[in-house]
Amino acid sequence: MATEALGLPFEATSAAAWMVWILPFAAALIMPAIGKASKNTTGYVAVGFALMSALSAASLLPVTLDASEVHHQITWIDSIGLEAGVLADPLSVIMANVVGWISFLIMIYSTGYMKGDKDITRFWFWMLFFIGSMQIIVLSDNLLQVFIGWEGVGLASYALISFWYRDKKKDHVGVEGRTVLGLLDYYSPTHAGMKAFIMTKVGDVMMIAGMLLIFLFAGTFGFKELMGDFAWAETMSAQGLLVPAFVLLFGGAVGKSAQFPLNEWLLEAMTGPTAVSALIHAATMVKAGVFLVARIGPIVFALGAAGILADQFFEIVAWVGAITALLLATQGMVNPEIKKVLAYSTGSQIGYMMMALGVAGLSQQYVDGYTAGFFHLISHAMFKASLFMAAGSLLHVVGSRFMTDMGGLRKHMKKTYAFMWAAGLGLMGAPFITTGFWSKDAIFAAVFESGSEWAMPLYAIAVLTAVITAFYTTRMIGLVFYGKPSKHIEKMEQEGHHIHEAPLSMWVPYGILAVLTIGVGIIGLSAEEGIHHLFTDFLEHSYGIHMVHHESGESILPGFLQGLNPIALGSSLIAFATGIGLGYVFYIGRWVDATKFVNSNIFFYAIHKTILNRWYLNAIIYWCFVVAPLWLARAVFRYFERTAIDYGMNDGFQKAVGWSARVVQGTQTGVSQSYLFVFGAGLLFVVLILLI
Amino acid sequence: MEYALLQAVFLPLLLSPVAYILGRKMGPTPAMWFTFAILLYTTILVINASLSGPTEEHYPWTDLFGEFGFLLDGLASPFAIMIYVLSTILALYSKPYMIHKFHEQFEEEQKTIQSTSGQSSIVESTSLTNYVNAKSGLYFALYLVFAMGMLGTVLSTNLIEFYVFFEVMLIPGFFLVALWGDGPRRKIGLMFLFWTHAGAVVLLLGFLMIGLTIGSFDFADIQESEIPQDIVLASAVAISIGLGVKLAVFMFHIWLPYVHGSAPTPISALLSPAMIGIGAYGIFRLIVEFLPSTFAELSIWFHIWGLVTMIYGGAMALMQDDLKRLLAYSSISQMGYILFGIGSMSALGLAGAEMMYVTHALGKGILFMMAGIIIVKVGTRSITKLGGLAGKMPITAVCAVIGALTIMGVPPTSGFMGEWILFYGALETAIEEGSTIRAVTFGLGLVATALTMSYILWMLKRVFFGKTPEHLEHVKEGSWYMTAPMMVLAGFTVVLGIYPDIFLKTIIPYMNGVLGV
Repeated sequence: MATEALGLPFEATSAAAWMVWILPFAAALIMPAIGKASKNTTGYVAVGFALMSALSAASLLPVTLDASEVHHQITWIDSIGLEAGVLADPLSVIMANVVGWISFLIMIYSTGYMKGDKDITRFWFWMLFFIGSMQIIVLSDNLLQVFIGWEGVGLASYALISFWYRDKKKDHVGVEGRTVLGLLDYYSPTHAGMKAFIMTKVGDVMMIAGMLLIFLFAGTFGFKELMGDFAWAETMSAQGLLVPAFVLLFGGAVGKSAQFPLNEWLLEAMTGPTAVSALIHAATMVKAGVFLVARIGPIVFALGAAGILADQFFEIVAWVGAITALLLATQGMVNPEIKKVLAYSTGSQIGYMMMALGVAGLSQQYVDGYTAGFFHLISHAMFKASLFMAAGSLLHVVGSRFMTDMGGLRKHMKKTYAFMWAAGLGLMGAPFITTGFWSKDAIFAAVFESGSEWAMPLYAIAVLTAVITAFYTTRMIGLVFYGKPSKHIEKMEQEGHHIHEAPLSMWVPYGILAVLTIGVGIIGLSAEEGIHHLFTDFLEHSYGIHMVHHESGESILPGFLQGLNPIALGSSLIAFATGIGLGYVFYIGRWVDATKFVNSNIFFYAIHKTILNRWYLNAIIYWCFVVAPLWLARAVFRYFERTAIDYGMNDGFQKAVGWSARVVQGTQTGVSQSYLFVFGAGLLFVVLILLI
Repeated sequence: MEYALLQAVFLPLLLSPVAYILGRKMGPTPAMWFTFAILLYTTILVINASLSGPTEEHYPWTDLFGEFGFLLDGLASPFAIMIYVLSTILALYSKPYMIHKFHEQFEEEQKTIQSTSGQSSIVESTSLTNYVNAKSGLYFALYLVFAMGMLGTVLSTNLIEFYVFFEVMLIPGFFLVALWGDGPRRKIGLMFLFWTHAGAVVLLLGFLMIGLTIGSFDFADIQESEIPQDIVLASAVAISIGLGVKLAVFMFHIWLPYVHGSAPTPISALLSPAMIGIGAYGIFRLIVEFLPSTFAELSIWFHIWGLVTMIYGGAMALMQDDLKRLLAYSSISQMGYILFGIGSMSALGLAGAEMMYVTHALGKGILFMMAGIIIVKVGTRSITKLGGLAGKMPITAVCAVIGALTIMGVPPTSGFMGEWILFYGALETAIEEGSTIRAVTFGLGLVATALTMSYILWMLKRVFFGKTPEHLEHVKEGSWYMTAPMMVLAGFTVVLGIYPDIFLKTIIPYMNGVLGV
């Protein structure tokens, strides 16, 4: 190596791997000083550092080509024998690039979106902190360091969700005054940030328990070290702790990725600036959970291959993913707020990824589901970032988060309209031309072919979710861009506000991503095969997971589609057609009035209401974990702390002393006869004792 | 350096009259800088001594009690360093806060004088300066004695010496609360004196049982094997109760919310992070180190007691409206963490418990200073009357968030480094012993961290975020005397969170040694 000749302590590539996460933190640290000097330069510095971080990630790409890896460690907590390190293998390098480049585009977008905000310095600080923390998760070589990044991401999300901490009415989410089970479904930014932080903390608590269990038996947090020798896993398995430990680790991912039952924070996270939402949903935060599962999944599978089975882990992952995918997709159909629809959609799509990663472990061919899940992560990152940024433009222009306040915008915002369609098609999985199609199809095929006992129910859920996804995406686009302009827009135009396209710095980033969604989509199949090939090598090289070669029979599909599963392909096409068709009927063609349709009979009405009330899950969680504990704490405070402790012990003690003083005082009568009497009695007593 | 520890302990005591005279003659600023200089010098002595490994000094005392010594080892040095670092930094913070307090009390006294005798206030206005000078002289003198009392306790090598210092820190504490506290300060001061003194007497009882049985009070001579079983157990229980009162664990916590709520804020910021944790030091030194087999018997009770305290303190903190009382209950909860860690009976659990002391000192120090700035600048401590202060006092807000993260145990603050090690220790023992109770307490303990997070975040939300009430429109940031100390502590907690080995490398070998790992 040339760098070694220069006398550098480590190779250039490992330095680049460190830089990927150090650079954003460095920028965050200097941000306050720059903000003090000149607020206008903060944006350039932030974007510049994000670019450098992304470039460092890009410089690692050669690592992926030959499925090699860069692993570099430094001393950290020496007294416990822990080291800090970076691990750049194909998985983390691809992820680092996805995170790095999408964050970079979002940062450019933010320069337009946040223009003129007086707290801009704080915004950049936390955005950079967010990116840096995410890159720590991606590139770390051990669980403890991952956990630090993990909490950093949680902290940054807390700060950014409640970025507009003054709790102005326009920054709230939900419909004012609406209640579910007696609790307001209307949240301020600061409440939302707190909710996100505490709810993900519940997941983190599980994760740290899982981590500590593994550390206890393995004596290491390192991913490489865990693969070294499976003695730890055997002991754990013998004690019945292996599956719990991994499931607890997955608990962290459930919280961070907003999976059922810790999904409810994601909706309120929409109080943050839209650039933040884009970052949370596309690049950082929710993707962290998927990445963690992708990180530990191969270890669990390799253990299984070595005879230490932990299949329940994969079953739980797959089912949590499936339930979330369906649960959140249904809610996307009815919500009136554009960002919330996108948020539901994210949770649902992450559910797909989890399902794929879980199913992978239940099949013989681990790499299929693994690739499908990860490929979906990449394609989702592109189209969801694009959709969110486009939605941000809409909010920016219209000044309302409700889709009912939009309508007919296609004439005024042609670019946004086109890009939103392109990205939306990706989300719907439009056949053959979008990345979303290929990645979703790969998931369908992986689930269908897994041979697991749960394959069929999971497959049914996956297809149903795809129908719903296509429907709600069409609904969203229909409501925003088609039909007549809403009263709100008419009013704005009367007041002299001209509805116009978003500025250049805003539409270019989501334009790029929308174009990429289609562009990569056209070569999607070969892209997927490329990743498949890469991961086959990677899994074999790093985890010893071998690909199983099937005797491939004659495919009934023609041409380039050969090798695809015909049933998966067929159901994917049908799902797309059904969903977009229904959506067209209600929201683009507007042949049927959706409101009238829902109110047409009690059954539809009840379903609609249940879904709109978030399946009552949020309200139940609030009653059980917020209202009830507070009530209990109040009762204990009032009836125990205040009475038993305060009055009982403090005042009681004081009174007892006072009382005994009075009793003793009573003996000091000052009457000499009584003294003499007592003296005489005492004397008599003593004499009697002596006599006896 | 010779006599380093002797100087570190006695210099503040000997020079406290000078601080008094300086204050009286020249005003609060020289007295403050003088106090700061002494404490800075002695802090450097302590840090320097602990860098060169375990340090011991012995001086002849009476035949009856044994030697008068100081020991700065892996256990004592984090305690000693934190105590003096906090004392030094808070000396600066004291000035603006106490001047504010003296002015308040002066007006109060004027009112009573006027209402009783109806004197004109022309003469009085000149005497305000004298009043402030006199009071600040007294304050800084007491402050120095308070600091040296705490340090002496953690350095002592003899049971009687320990007890003496234990009481020495109590007396100035009593005066500081009774003279300049808020609310019914004399009553609360007395409550503080009575409760902690009662605890100290129980402690002394335990000491006497041990000391009279083995015929020596020197730490070096205490050998469990030489003491009859029943006496060891009885004295260990007495010592635990005595120290439990100091730690303010559940059921002995009665005095703490009153005292920490009422004490002048710099003193709260010393009482809460530095002083009550000395109870934990006592348990480490006297029970874990000297009575190991008794400790093994008692550890599960410490563990459960700690857990209950953790949850109880957290739940009560949720219900507080008074900012300082909230922090006081939070301290109770944090002491629960420490006791929980001690009860884990594994080297890393104990090390985590000691790290918790350090991080709690940093985090709670910051939060109490935050409360003090709000008291001075806003004039209220009722949380319902606050809101949206982040925009008005950004430095305070940022530091408070860092302090809050430290208490919550979120990286990159030192709180996380204490917490995971602590819980790891708890888990280790649970698995090794195969004990269901310990497994359950481990789980509940982790859940309690979510409770901690809830009350802290809710407090931040109500104080710093949300709408700004109208009466807070003109609130300004605190002076540098007040914000700079906070920033220093905030810096420490982040550095320690990234590189915890600074303390762990002295703590862990000690704990391994004690448990014979």
